[in-house]
Amino acid sequence: MAMTPGGAETAAQAAEDSAPGGEAALVKAAPGDVSSPIIVPNTLWTSARPNSYESTAARFTHLRELEHSDLMLSDTARWGQLEVIPTKADLIIDLIRMNSLWPLLSGLACCAIEMMSAATSKNDMDRWGMFPFRASPRQADVLIVAGTLTTKMAGPLVRLWEQMPEPKWCVAMGDCTCSGGRYKRSYSTIEGIDRVMPVDVYVPGCPPRPEGLIYGMMKLGQLVKERRGHWPEHPIGPNVPQDV
Amino acid sequence: MTAPVQPHYPHPSADDPRIMLDAQIGQYEQVPPYPPRTEREAEFYTLGDGEMFLNMGPQHPSTHGVLRVVLKINGEKVVDLDPVLGYLHRGVEKLCENSDYHHIISQIDPLEYVSSLFMEWAPVMAFEKLMDVQVPRRAEYIRVLTGELLRIASHALFQGWMALDLGGLTPILYSFIERDEIVEMLAAVTGQRMLFNYFRIGGVNGDLNHEFMSRLGDWMSRAAVQHEANIGLLNENEIFVRRMRDIGRVDRDTALRMGVTGPNIRAAGIPFDVRRAHPYSVYPELEFNVPVRGSNGGGDSLDRYLLRLDEVRESIRIIDQCLHEMPDGPVMARLPRLMRPRPGRAWAAVESPRGLFGTYVISDGTDQPFRFRIHDPSFVHLQLVGMLMKDNLIADTMAVMASLDPVMGGIDK
Repeated sequence: MAMTPGGAETAAQAAEDSAPGGEAALVKAAPGDVSSPIIVPNTLWTSARPNSYESTAARFTHLRELEHSDLMLSDTARWGQLEVIPTKADLIIDLIRMNSLWPLLSGLACCAIEMMSAATSKNDMDRWGMFPFRASPRQADVLIVAGTLTTKMAGPLVRLWEQMPEPKWCVAMGDCTCSGGRYKRSYSTIEGIDRVMPVDVYVPGCPPRPEGLIYGMMKLGQLVKERRGHWPEHPIGPNVPQDV
Repeated sequence: MTAPVQPHYPHPSADDPRIMLDAQIGQYEQVPPYPPRTEREAEFYTLGDGEMFLNMGPQHPSTHGVLRVVLKINGEKVVDLDPVLGYLHRGVEKLCENSDYHHIISQIDPLEYVSSLFMEWAPVMAFEKLMDVQVPRRAEYIRVLTGELLRIASHALFQGWMALDLGGLTPILYSFIERDEIVEMLAAVTGQRMLFNYFRIGGVNGDLNHEFMSRLGDWMSRAAVQHEANIGLLNENEIFVRRMRDIGRVDRDTALRMGVTGPNIRAAGIPFDVRRAHPYSVYPELEFNVPVRGSNGGGDSLDRYLLRLDEVRESIRIIDQCLHEMPDGPVMARLPRLMRPRPGRAWAAVESPRGLFGTYVISDGTDQPFRFRIHDPSFVHLQLVGMLMKDNLIADTMAVMASLDPVMGGIDK
């Protein structure tokens, strides 16, 4: 913040004094040279209103007031006057969450093959940060339920869901998981996984194409960013029991 | 502290008594999930000195589906094991018995999702036997052509999974390139990438179109070269070969006694192929070899792996012949929309990428079968697992199981 016009002149003056006539090779440094600030002139950007920082910032006592003022409406003001990005840590963290959704590697049936197809070479989900299929539920953000959920598998799947740390999201892939699909009449399947766990995004199709799954995951990213998805029942962080 | 918030979703077991949750059966499922009912279970669930149980599955990255295997281990060594099935039991047989004959094709389609055209082929052949339907020759050629294409896709996936289970990530990227090209090709004809629903009683759903033929031409021009390149990824890898050799050896007598079919029995040295032993469709008119591997002592995991790569070469040959010899004509016989065959029974079997896949149909004269029985090769092969994994190391269990190439959809039906 020491960027004053006077400082720049002083530095230029000192440079002229210490090297007169171009013979700069063996000139001793003057006593004040090192402690004087090195000023780099700003040539990268120019502010639309250079004096607005000093004149207006003192009025604000809360970030919300700044957000509602007209200063926040233009990018030049945001970058030029404040020299910071005014935001909340939550917004940044949501952006990070949205762009690195790590799915759990758990396939149940047919849709799992298309899920693998979405992860490999041709439809590369890694481009949107969705790739590392974690084998452990402790490291996963998203549970992609790919395939028919039978009554025998429901208990283990719910346990997997409960083992995942908050915040977590669930994508129902395929008709069987959305509504029962072609096995709706069967005696041993569950007609839609929303009977046993919350679902954020439904991707219908029998099975959906890999592009469909990727589209669903991008929609989930929007939900995460706007905080419209399944939101944790517990506060984020280590879930410490009350007695401890 | 605030009171714990109740989950906003309904508790699953409230309205569905079929679902057993942790709360009902204790926080952790006991390793013997039931009091032992047989002597075998009582023996298995009694721990010896230094032994412990290890649950593999039902959610496990390399069990090829939702299979749970309870391993009894002593250090790194697998002493005994108990596979627990039924996590993907969808009641396909019962659904088929409650569907009419055309509807069955779509019901049985996702049974074994990696090679779903063969799942349609066997019941369709059984129904044609039951109803004395003559299939047009062009339709038979189209069935062979699309079936062999899907066999290549299935074996390509096998190669990728085999490497993935042993810890190599790269080959599956290449095998999915092959698989995606083939299924996109089939999707141009059938409209679906995986569950094609293409075969009909008396023919196929539609004729081959221009997009399919152009894609197939592109693919065939480099299929053989691409296959050799994919083989080169793994076959000369010393780590891979040394982990596969002498693991999970199946000798000829065991293979015959357990009813093993398909590539697994051919890798044990017995040249049994349904396409040759019980010829169907137009296979008698086509030239192809039945590759056999293994010595007198039977075949190990490496033999089973290499044999599937040999089969891909033969499938490419068959596709080439189909393209040259395919006649013109209709692709569908003229049939009534609602079919009521005479009372009787029929059995038909095809050579699926995993072995003999057969269906047995009993008709009682109505438009729905009285009994619809599915014989799946993966179920037979899974019985070998107990024999082969015993006294192996834990790390070798995956090399054994992946080389048998089971698919849980077919096993649990």
